[in-house]
Amino acid sequence: MTLSKQLDKLLMRAEKPGRYIGGELHTEKKNPAAISTRFGFAFPDTYEIGMSYLGLQIIYHILNKMESVYCERVFAPANDMENLMRKESLPLFTLETKSPVKDLDILGFTLQYELSFSNILNMLNLGGIPYRSAERDASFPFIAAGGPCAFNPEPLADIIDFFMIGDGEDILPQVCKAHDRWKESGKDKDEFLKSLIEINGIYVPKFYTPSYYEDGQLKAIKKNYDKAPDRIEKQIVENLNQAEFPQKTIVPLIETVHDRAVVEVFRGCTRGCRFCQAGMIYRPVRERSKETIKQIAARQLEETGHDELSILSLSTSDHSEIEPLVEELMSVCKDNNVSLSLPSLRLDSFSFKVLQEIQGYKKSGLTFAPEAGTQRLRNVINKTITDADIYHGIEKAIELGWTNIKLYFMLGLPTETFEDLDGIVEIAKNITDINYRITGKRGRFNITVSVSSFVPKAHTPFQWHPQDTADVFLEKQLYLKDKLKKIKGVSYNYHGTDSSYLEAVFARGDRRLSEVLIKAVTLGCKFDSWREHLKYDLWMQAFRETGIDPNFYAHRERTYDMVLPWDIIDSGVTKEFLISENNKAIQETQSPDCRLHCIGCGINQKAECTMGERYEE
Amino acid sequence: MKNRYAVRFYKDGNIRYISHLDLLRLFKRTFKRAGIRLQYSQGFNPHPKMSFAQPLSLGYSSSSEYLEFETQNTYSTDVIAEKLNSLMPEGLGILSCEELPDKEKSLAAMTEAADYEITIPVDDSLEIENTDLLREYISQDQIKVMKRQKKSGRKIEINIKPLIYSISVDRRGNCIMLEAKLAAGSVSNLSPELVLTTFCEFTDISYDRATVAIKRKEIYFIK
Ligand code: SF4
Repeated sequence: MTLSKQLDKLLMRAEKPGRYIGGELHTEKKNPAAISTRFGFAFPDTYEIGMSYLGLQIIYHILNKMESVYCERVFAPANDMENLMRKESLPLFTLETKSPVKDLDILGFTLQYELSFSNILNMLNLGGIPYRSAERDASFPFIAAGGPCAFNPEPLADIIDFFMIGDGEDILPQVCKAHDRWKESGKDKDEFLKSLIEINGIYVPKFYTPSYYEDGQLKAIKKNYDKAPDRIEKQIVENLNQAEFPQKTIVPLIETVHDRAVVEVFRGCTRGCRFCQAGMIYRPVRERSKETIKQIAARQLEETGHDELSILSLSTSDHSEIEPLVEELMSVCKDNNVSLSLPSLRLDSFSFKVLQEIQGYKKSGLTFAPEAGTQRLRNVINKTITDADIYHGIEKAIELGWTNIKLYFMLGLPTETFEDLDGIVEIAKNITDINYRITGKRGRFNITVSVSSFVPKAHTPFQWHPQDTADVFLEKQLYLKDKLKKIKGVSYNYHGTDSSYLEAVFARGDRRLSEVLIKAVTLGCKFDSWREHLKYDLWMQAFRETGIDPNFYAHRERTYDMVLPWDIIDSGVTKEFLISENNKAIQETQSPDCRLHCIGCGINQKAECTMGERYEE
Repeated sequence: MKNRYAVRFYKDGNIRYISHLDLLRLFKRTFKRAGIRLQYSQGFNPHPKMSFAQPLSLGYSSSSEYLEFETQNTYSTDVIAEKLNSLMPEGLGILSCEELPDKEKSLAAMTEAADYEITIPVDDSLEIENTDLLREYISQDQIKVMKRQKKSGRKIEINIKPLIYSISVDRRGNCIMLEAKLAAGSVSNLSPELVLTTFCEFTDISYDRATVAIKRKEIYFIK
């Protein structure tokens, strides 16, 4: 029986069969027999989540433009479907041709969050592919990975054959071309990996051997193949404005998390928040011009028929032409019955004007992310928003009739004390008072305070800091709960810290965690980012049985002189810069936004950075 | 003067695994791509004026579905059919397009019956006499099923026999084929699932629902 026939029988039983059928608008049809590199773009989560990820659309488009390459998509089946597949021995397959993933040449996973790692292993297993690189002979595809979590690749080092670090637009075609050549040559598997290291941004873990001190600290990661680079520099697409961007994006047949046309307006961020990994690893800031964005948006809407348009970046308001851009996009949208969604807007007067015009915003509420409750702690994390900014924005919002305010904070930031928590309470309290002052009423006004647990990340100034323990988190959460419940009209959101703890372990983990991952997946861990699926007990069992202490990774204070597992990856931002930023954090002083003053992060040594002193020009 | 139209289309293959809501979104996008501007409802949350005569259950195929809609401009029905058809994904195709009179009720309100074809794979060894079986099934005074009431959630017994307008059975290879014309629409409606279960229960045929194929072949409207 062919896979398609077998699949047909399962679809009738699956909860959401539409996830597994493929055939969406703008998907690619090619004859696999005429292809020299069959690439599987694997997203280690469900279809609905994976299809909402813009990077997939970009890579799919770029790879399928190449004649020798066929890029197909692979997602993690939901539990009900996985059970059916295992029962009927149906292997993990691609959506385009329903081919078993084992038949592909390269299976590339995108690493968007640490808690998807277990799904990668589970997907390999469902595809009949051994977990460890060392156990895969030439009959198996190469297993690759890229994306933000590849900036600390070590926890997956025993599993992934090669990592692609940095922007994907150029590196993926380069890898596929190298594969075409290697296939032509008929040489063995290792030769392909050896040819890859000539490409900037490729990390092949088997060419490196870590060693450890007796106390468990990492001693060094040494090359065992002399041609391998000492450090892997991330790849950078210097000119984003000219970079490929898809217009005929795939349009899912079923509803996904984000069902809309999307244009990435710029990459990177100049604000330099010290906790933020994205702000560090996506430097330098590169923009698409207003004209390019408009043209892509219009074409995408035409080609897809979407009725929502969104623009994407780390901090939308920071685009150099934001005001005319938004105004022009709004008029494009109005003419076509398309709604515009503008995430991560800073709430200045322009934004309010825009939000007023865009219908439906008031219902969803207004979002502020001060992240920390006091100016002192905001100085520590380099978040420039001030109390005055917050209250001013809120006043404006209330005057305009908003009745729903959402506030986001992080708990467990370095140097945090209970005074900082009191600061959160005070902000909430003051906002209710502002509302009373303006509207004369206390009812029908709601503030939601949401707190998340801080996870220190690699390649950030806070990479040396321990994460708070579960007890401390809980104490802080309950402290806040107790104080916030006394304020009328305030609701409070907090969550268990198990997932943040696991995230912290893997975010700064080393190669020894590969064993733990394999153990955990064997025990049944998967979909860890889904609260209802996370099996924390099994995770702890996996740590116990492999003799690895997760606290070593999450709670240990690291020192500047230590070798860190991700030192092998060069993000372009220097360690000296991270150290100086961390020192400034301890001294509670801010660093300016790049556009005011270049603070020498080092990225301009690798690529052109047009940001420094932009405001001075 | 309104610009009311209806297209008749088929749904087959893997795309039958998308729900009618997904299908509605697909049509909405297709109209946009075709440059056919739909009329939108007034109000705070405007939505295009477009609806199916009868939603088709997930997993069913159909050789005759109807979508009605209202456009801002007037088009020739050929142009609509052609434009939409050129943009349909695999498994969906426009069969024809008709203009609808201004004042008539919606197709959904006028739907009264539908033809279904139910294909049940059975054991080769199963020996059944078609006509006997069917005669016995349909000559029951009442064909009773338990149905959960939407409002109260209570289960009540109902007799579905009056809702079966006609039925025939045929043996083709290792399949039993039921063809039935059933009540459909907002006044009274019978799901072919109930015919399948009651028939197989009565005749003692064991089947696997996942291998049973159901196809809607036609929808009938009040004239
Ligand atoms: S080089 Fe200077 S301006 Fe450019 S990102 Fe780094 S700190 Fe900012």
